[in-house]
Amino acid sequence: MDKISYIILVPMVYAAFAVLVLGVSARLVAILRTPRELQTPIYPASGAPYLRALYDSFLMPQVRRHAPVLWVFLMAFHACLLLLLIGHLELVAQMPWEKAFPHQIFLGKGFVGLILAVSLLFFLFRRFSSPVRDLSVPEDYYLLILLFLTVIFGAEMDWARNWYGYGEMGVDQYRQYLTSLVTFHPALPYEVTSAGHRFMLVLHVFFANLFLMVLPFSKIMHAFLALPVNKLRRG
Amino acid sequence: MDDTTRDELLRLFESKLKRAAKLYLETCSRCGVCVSACHVYASMPQAKYIAAYRAEIVRRIYKRYFTKKGRFWKSLGESKELSELALSELYEAAYSCTGCRRCMVFCPFGIDTQLIMSIAKLLLIGAHAEPEILSLLADTSVAKGESLEIFREGFLESIKTLENEVVERWRVEAGQTPIPVDQKGADLLYVALAGAHSIVPAAVVFNAAKENWTLSFFEAVNFGAFVGDPVKTRQILDRIVNEARRLGVKEVVICECGTAFRVMKSMAKNEPFKVSSITEVHARYIREGRIKLRKNTLEGTVTYHDPCQLARNGGVMDEPRFILRALTDDFAEMSPDPVMNWCCGGGGGLVAMGEDTLDFRMKSASVKADQVKKTGAKILATACENCHTQLSNLNDHYQMGVDVRFLSSMVADALE
Ligand code: SF4
Ligand code: SF4
Repeated sequence: MDKISYIILVPMVYAAFAVLVLGVSARLVAILRTPRELQTPIYPASGAPYLRALYDSFLMPQVRRHAPVLWVFLMAFHACLLLLLIGHLELVAQMPWEKAFPHQIFLGKGFVGLILAVSLLFFLFRRFSSPVRDLSVPEDYYLLILLFLTVIFGAEMDWARNWYGYGEMGVDQYRQYLTSLVTFHPALPYEVTSAGHRFMLVLHVFFANLFLMVLPFSKIMHAFLALPVNKLRRG
Repeated sequence: MDDTTRDELLRLFESKLKRAAKLYLETCSRCGVCVSACHVYASMPQAKYIAAYRAEIVRRIYKRYFTKKGRFWKSLGESKELSELALSELYEAAYSCTGCRRCMVFCPFGIDTQLIMSIAKLLLIGAHAEPEILSLLADTSVAKGESLEIFREGFLESIKTLENEVVERWRVEAGQTPIPVDQKGADLLYVALAGAHSIVPAAVVFNAAKENWTLSFFEAVNFGAFVGDPVKTRQILDRIVNEARRLGVKEVVICECGTAFRVMKSMAKNEPFKVSSITEVHARYIREGRIKLRKNTLEGTVTYHDPCQLARNGGVMDEPRFILRALTDDFAEMSPDPVMNWCCGGGGGLVAMGEDTLDFRMKSASVKADQVKKTGAKILATACENCHTQLSNLNDHYQMGVDVRFLSSMVADALE
């Protein structure tokens, strides 16, 4: 078990990030190096296509107009994702903004994870009903399930600290572990390997690794492509 | 399907894989927001008529042959072999899509289903499975460009017979030709369609505005674009571009044909002439006081159908409304936002395919008929030949009780 934990927590994390970075770069280069074709925008064309594309990508006005309920969940989901990204960054090292705005690491007191989990369930159930079901392919379900598993184990660690006063494994230990990874001196603190909650961490990291490795080859590439593709519509 | 054919088709597919096509093929998250966008689905709610579903038929072949994921784990994205069966699915997807791009307005990424369908259309051409009539029409257009001399006399004769009609409706000044053809030094080249309805009213208005114009030898319609053949689209377009260059005109004006206008506007961007639609030119004449119209001679409410290729895909939205306000005080919009207007259901070559598609065209556009009926209008104006034909068919089929009119001829009829 310890050996498996180690593999998941150390070499697999490196592998996942390598696949992520190389994969995403290769895909982006391949697409952006392809010659352009003639493409007609949707009129009235915008005077500031990049700004409009930014607006389209981040606020999704089309979804707000045509599928308002989905929009609420999509916005909640993506906003929480951003908060989580910040949370994880803060685990890696002390961020400059931490001093300016003193706050507890992982904003949202556990609710961010909850909102993510609920949104993911909403997306999943939505996929099981027509007409979205008719459009869906297996990849769509697998990705949602994988994300849900990642989120649920990650959030569980947050909930334990926030809601049940669990104190054995906390920010300091995570920070120690992640700092060791980014400085390429991997070391697992005692708590990470032996606390009662360690399997949560191991599972969280395992699913997260898988997710990062499939990302470059999945439709999650929309995270990078939303902007250039939206720009095409705006002229 | 044998391997050679498949390889050839895949080469055609690859030729279409430019930046926008790749972005569209890679990005769809199958969120389903476009479900309510397509008039075909809104009229006949079957999954195969959802914009993303159509696109997915092309995307599956893309995944199978052009992505690693699809090659190694076929079921993941349901990637698909290119086979005879796939071809018939491609046909159904592409020729039930009018290319109106309403779905592109709905999609959070702005995915252009028409562009994806143009891949399907090209594969069908490669497999000789495209609608024959469209290819035939495209070939005829190309041939006419190549041997103009043969057509020349016949064309000039038929124009002569139309001149009387023009003179009847607008006095011609001494030395003025009612329908000038092949005039070097003209400011404006007008590209019409075959048929008096596209030439006479336009000539009447040009003469009334004292325009220094000339009529093109060629028809504006681009069947190459309907059938999705990039080479023929270019050849058909080039006939007109070359003529415009030869005559040295400053402006090329496209008649009421949405596709012709969009193709010319987007593909002749860097030419030494400006491209306008006849609707824009008429609005300009009114604004500049070059023509005067009698107002409120029309009976009943007037509504306007925005041709997709002219409005959403061509940017001509304010001009027709400006013209209609000069014609009547009783104008009713059919959609609060022209960009959101339903397609008439006749684009993408479907009207050109005639009777064969009539049943589908009627069934797939019931939402359009409802939209028109709701305005309570007596006159339904539009500025596209295709839309006019389709709307007239809908008028009969759904007994809409409207008079379907070309905007340009309404202008000609109202000249003071
Ligand atoms: S709205 Fe766009 S992203 Fe969503 S399913 Fe339709 S085409 Fe795909
Ligand atoms: S382009 Fe028009 S017809 Fe084609 S899928 Fe989109 S909405 Fe439907």
